Amino acid sequence: MRNMHKSPVIMLGGLHIDLSIVLMLLVTCTICLVLGLLATRNLSVENPGKLQNFLEWAVEFVQGLISSTMDLKKGRPFLSLGLALIMFLFVGNLLGLPLGVVTDYHDAEHAKIFGKQIEPVVKELDRLHAAADPASHEEIEVGVAWWKSPTADPAVAMGLAVMIFLLSHILGITRNTKNYFKHYFEPYPFFFPINLIEQVSKLLTHGMRLFGNIFAGEVLISVILKLAALGVGGWIASVLGLIVWQGFSLFIGTIQAFIFVMLTMVYFSQMLETHDEH
Amino acid sequence: MSFVWESSVLAIIAFGILYFLLNKYAFGPLFSVMEKRRELVLQQMDEASKTREQAVSYVEEQKQALQQARQEAHNIIQQSQATSSNQVDRILEQAKAEANRLKDEAVRDIESEKNKAVEALRSELGTASVRIASKLLEKEVKADGEQEQLVDQYLKEVGGRS
Repeated sequence: MRNMHKSPVIMLGGLHIDLSIVLMLLVTCTICLVLGLLATRNLSVENPGKLQNFLEWAVEFVQGLISSTMDLKKGRPFLSLGLALIMFLFVGNLLGLPLGVVTDYHDAEHAKIFGKQIEPVVKELDRLHAAADPASHEEIEVGVAWWKSPTADPAVAMGLAVMIFLLSHILGITRNTKNYFKHYFEPYPFFFPINLIEQVSKLLTHGMRLFGNIFAGEVLISVILKLAALGVGGWIASVLGLIVWQGFSLFIGTIQAFIFVMLTMVYFSQMLETHDEH
Repeated sequence: MSFVWESSVLAIIAFGILYFLLNKYAFGPLFSVMEKRRELVLQQMDEASKTREQAVSYVEEQKQALQQARQEAHNIIQQSQATSSNQVDRILEQAKAEANRLKDEAVRDIESEKNKAVEALRSELGTASVRIASKLLEKEVKADGEQEQLVDQYLKEVGGRS
């Protein structure tokens, strides 16, 4: 039984750098950027091109999202953020679907990239070697996944959630100071711990929801791929399963991008909410 | 699956850069174009409504002009009718006067011709009668002016009575 794929983490200046994350973030950003620039290359007021129309549709979609949670006048500054976020998440969520690049390592000597050791691989190999029965000559190998959705990594998903968390709290503190501090003690002062927990849970669920959905999709894809090793029946089941599950993952990726942006706007609006108007 | 916090930082940095670039080079121009289109549509709608108002006022003006023209035509017809009937009357009057005049003239002519003829006949008759009388009375009555004058006077009395 093969182990879960490891991440290609190397030490660089005392920092753990996950190379697959770097690669996938670069790919995602490049695709988003190229898409955005292509769509706005020949901007026209009177007869927009196909890509421009598509991007304008996206703009209106995000506008609808914002206006469903707050006054559009207040929410206009978040339009760019929402649009960039939904593009980034949509592209990122779908990137892991079409292919996977995995390299296998058998011993610690070769588990290197740019002259640096791939830490999890070395550790895993050590652990396996220590646990292995010296009598049996079973081959030990550790796979490293290079191509995956960046959002299928908990650190990335949580990073984005933390970014939104910080942004929303900064917004609350600077734009809505009185209400921001007051709402921790509402409806009664002893609710303070509960309100604190609420904030933390918002952060956790925001990031983990995204990570969990995308990661689960990729795990299931790799499981379905392993079905192919069970012979002809397994192979057919694998192909059929892949078709169905990839389609469903496409749907999930889109929905999760939508939900993440939607929740972002909800959190912003909660932070900007003033109770004067009620 | 390990949690590498550096990846979070990387993700935030990557997204920050992406946001900055997209906002500056893609979304900014796109939003301004969309705003421009919105303004264009508003402006065109405004223009259309203005044009419609103008058209309505033009139609109103045209209607009034038409009404006026109709009124004028009516007046002209009435006037010309009045003038023509006047003229007819006048011409008729003139014709009548002319006819009367001609008739009077003719009557006068006839009168004067008759008088002339009577005059001529009278003088003829006078001379003839004088001649006849002189022939008859050649020896008794001297052919002098006194007798002749007498005859004339008698004849005049006769003619005047007739």
